Amino acid sequence: MRPIRADIHIHSVLSPCGSLDMSPASIIARAIETGLEMIAISDHNSTLNCNLAVALGNEAGLSVLRGAEVTTAEEVHCLAILPDEKATALFQDFLGEKMQHIKNVPAKFGYQLVLDSDENIIDEVEYFLPAALTASIDEVERVVHSLGGLFIPAHIDRPAFSIFSQLGFMPSDLTPDAVEVTGKIPQMKYPVIRNSDSHTIDQLGKRYTTYMLEEPTFQELAMAFRGENERRIISVTP
Amino acid sequence: MKVIDLVNELKLHLFSGKEGLNNDVSCGYTSDLLSDVMGHAEAGSIWITIQTHKNVMAIASLKDLPAIIISSGEKPGEDTIEQSNAEGIPLLGTEMRSFEVSGKIFNILGIK
Repeated sequence: MRPIRADIHIHSVLSPCGSLDMSPASIIARAIETGLEMIAISDHNSTLNCNLAVALGNEAGLSVLRGAEVTTAEEVHCLAILPDEKATALFQDFLGEKMQHIKNVPAKFGYQLVLDSDENIIDEVEYFLPAALTASIDEVERVVHSLGGLFIPAHIDRPAFSIFSQLGFMPSDLTPDAVEVTGKIPQMKYPVIRNSDSHTIDQLGKRYTTYMLEEPTFQELAMAFRGENERRIISVTP
Repeated sequence: MKVIDLVNELKLHLFSGKEGLNNDVSCGYTSDLLSDVMGHAEAGSIWITIQTHKNVMAIASLKDLPAIIISSGEKPGEDTIEQSNAEGIPLLGTEMRSFEVSGKIFNILGIK
């Protein structure tokens, strides 16, 4: 086993707030350059750039996980990290069903682009992706877990779109696999991780978590969260 | 003014927590962010929100709020209703938007 740096909260050009240089190819190149060994693409309420990123990651030798940053009905942002392509497709269907049909205004909010391997734009998502789903945080957690995925409330210490801002405190019956923190690391009964939440290329590689893993895979990451077979979180960046 | 008076006057739906219908209402607070309500709502405020997560009941209890009005026709889940009954804090509903129901309560309470 060895220390592995991972950042599982990265936005691509599919997120309206993601800068236009955040193509999966650019993200992967920059992630490798900065010493990350595992990343996840986690756009707002969509997984549509994930398969491309995984394929490009395979070619380049970077472990890429499929994910999304979900906005629950309570407007709490939560990371959903999915185990494989099939679970991701099912999760994408769930997102489609629960999406509010509010039109995106690209000039105001930014473009929501799906790319192919040649960086051609193959789709532009019509509805504003970051809008709250019509599914509660409990329902989202249930669906993510039923698909074998990891459920991680995002930036829980931020003053907006976080568990604490929206719900005041951690609901006692929530069973997150980990929580993502941006500031001081609190004592909690859940594994606490740091990610970059990158929206621009220059943010990549600056904030991440170092894990003790056999190899950079979804299963190993899940084991680290559960503290199994000596897999664990070693440290987080400041 | 009692919660029951507002229920009658504004034709509010009673989801749960009927034991608290005689709670006293002295003012109101309108917000959907539970951290904001935790920080700023005064005791005795009836709380107007579209937030239906069960944590609203814990916040209402913590802040001594007499009742919660769920606006815009939103419906609380079973777990929220159970908490409301357990705490004896009425969970009320209306089709009115938060702005409208807040304005009406503001006038009824005669707040200047």
